[in-house]
Amino acid sequence: MATRGERIFDIFLWLLAGLVFVVLYAPVAISALFSIVEVRRGDILWETATLEWYARLWQNQSIMDAIRLTLVVGATSVVLSAMLAVALALYVTREDALGRRFIELAVYLPFLLPPIVTGLALLMFFSQVGVSRGAVAVIIGHGAFVLAVIYRLVVTRLQSLPASLVEASSDLGATRWQTFRHVLWPQIAPAVVTGSILALALSFDETLITSFLAGNEMTLPIRLWAMMRVGFTPEINALVTVVLLVSIALTIVIGLRLRAGGRE
Amino acid sequence: MTVLLELDAVSKSYGATEVLRPTSLEVKDGEFLTILGPSGSGKTTILRLVGGFARPTAGRIRFDGADVTNVPTHKRPFNTVFQDYALFPHMNVARNVGYGLMLRRRPKREIENRVAETLEVVGLSGMLDRYPSQLSGGQRQRVALARALVCDPRLILLDEPLAALDAGLRRQMQLFLKSLQRQVRTTFLFVTHDQEEATTMSDRIVVMNVGHIEQIGTPRDIYYAPASRFVAEFFGDNNILGGTISDGRLQCALGAFPAPPALVEGSAALAAIRPEKVRLGTAAEPADIVFTAAVIDVVFAGAITQVLLRPNASPEAIITAKLTSGAAIGSLAPDASVEVRIAREDAVILPAASP
Repeated sequence: MATRGERIFDIFLWLLAGLVFVVLYAPVAISALFSIVEVRRGDILWETATLEWYARLWQNQSIMDAIRLTLVVGATSVVLSAMLAVALALYVTREDALGRRFIELAVYLPFLLPPIVTGLALLMFFSQVGVSRGAVAVIIGHGAFVLAVIYRLVVTRLQSLPASLVEASSDLGATRWQTFRHVLWPQIAPAVVTGSILALALSFDETLITSFLAGNEMTLPIRLWAMMRVGFTPEINALVTVVLLVSIALTIVIGLRLRAGGRE
Repeated sequence: MTVLLELDAVSKSYGATEVLRPTSLEVKDGEFLTILGPSGSGKTTILRLVGGFARPTAGRIRFDGADVTNVPTHKRPFNTVFQDYALFPHMNVARNVGYGLMLRRRPKREIENRVAETLEVVGLSGMLDRYPSQLSGGQRQRVALARALVCDPRLILLDEPLAALDAGLRRQMQLFLKSLQRQVRTTFLFVTHDQEEATTMSDRIVVMNVGHIEQIGTPRDIYYAPASRFVAEFFGDNNILGGTISDGRLQCALGAFPAPPALVEGSAALAAIRPEKVRLGTAAEPADIVFTAAVIDVVFAGAITQVLLRPNASPEAIITAKLTSGAAIGSLAPDASVEVRIAREDAVILPAASP
């Protein structure tokens, strides 16, 4: 039985949690609200409620271009870094791997460094080797950035597998490739998928590195940024709400997957 | 019998640590050979070298006359049963067992028949669709066996496969493995630290200690004629009495035992006496050594009662006697004085230092 003091403490904790929740999400809720109704001199005009701004987004060519680029960049960079992450993880978890620490450092640094440093470094590097700013540069940039996330999940999964699985497979006559295909891949696939979704969410929101590398092409967050400099319109609120909903959806999927993985 | 597997001065070091001293060993075609030793004795190292999971630092391994020292694991013509079974968790029993055949690109029909046959041999028919997580320890063990047997290897390596099972199931599996080995006529190379397990199943036993072989022989050879103090103590709890060789006999505090002529006059030696050869009572034979001792403890263990004795002539040497349980022994009380007899020919005389 909880004592009176404990109950008061519990109520206090709930209030605190509620306050944090409000501070974090009220602005977001207001943004979503303003994308539907008009506000004049502090009064919400419910009769103006409309989804028109969402429809306008759909018709806005530059926004649709930005959405398309965001999806292309996200998909390409995630697929490329997923493949690289799996290859690196397989190598690093081998008993005789050389330069394990160095590889891990190289993988984690772009993710851990301030994005402004990563972005600037990539920009200077690309201009030296002659890769012009644009979609390709952004894809490479995002790939380097999200690599760490997929890599970490795959390495953790591989390390949790008993070494005898691989030994048993080769003992029964499997080549390295056959062992990967029949034994390792089915074991790490869920981790690769979870890592990729997480990476997709990161790529979707990434702004700073992208702003260095995008040039004239714009991903969604960059487009949003550009629009806000001109003026604050309900259209922006609608776009923010869309970005928000996609992010929330991805987060829920990741959360569910990580929890399911932990229960295994 | 012809030699199937041959280790020729094989050794293994990790950095400066030599886990296996140069070791030579012949495994005969069709035999059940057990490598027995405590942990750190190098027994698992031998198995890993034969399986190809590690490469020897020096020496050659030959299989059926062909040098396989540098042949990669997946091309070696024998299979392993792992200590943790290493079943593939995402495959059901049928796919686990059929894995080796699938890799060999056998027709589907043949794989199905062969898998069903092999599962029947190990007593697991009708479990085809179960996943490893749905099986008991003993069943997983049998799946692992079937998976190793399915490709008809001439040699199977078993790495302490019974260690994870409880005592009752372990005894049952020991008998099963022995009869299975006779039935499929495959050579078994079995690793264990359990002396009873080795005795029950093996045609021959290799006793190992800190990276080298102490003795090779049939379970009877090793039981009745241990070749070193380590074997005598590890294999069946021998009583050890220290002494010196003089006049061709081992002189110790409790009496003199005839010593083999190989032992040098004046050198330190010891007598190993099996606990079941120690007798209590008055019916003396002329060849016995006789001494009085105080009873320290009487431990009843069903058919056998263990009596711990402290000889009056040599109080620091504790002698264990294993006797058939009975009323006379049951009434022995601690501190009682008893007459102890040991037949002279029942002692195995060994040099004190390991060869």
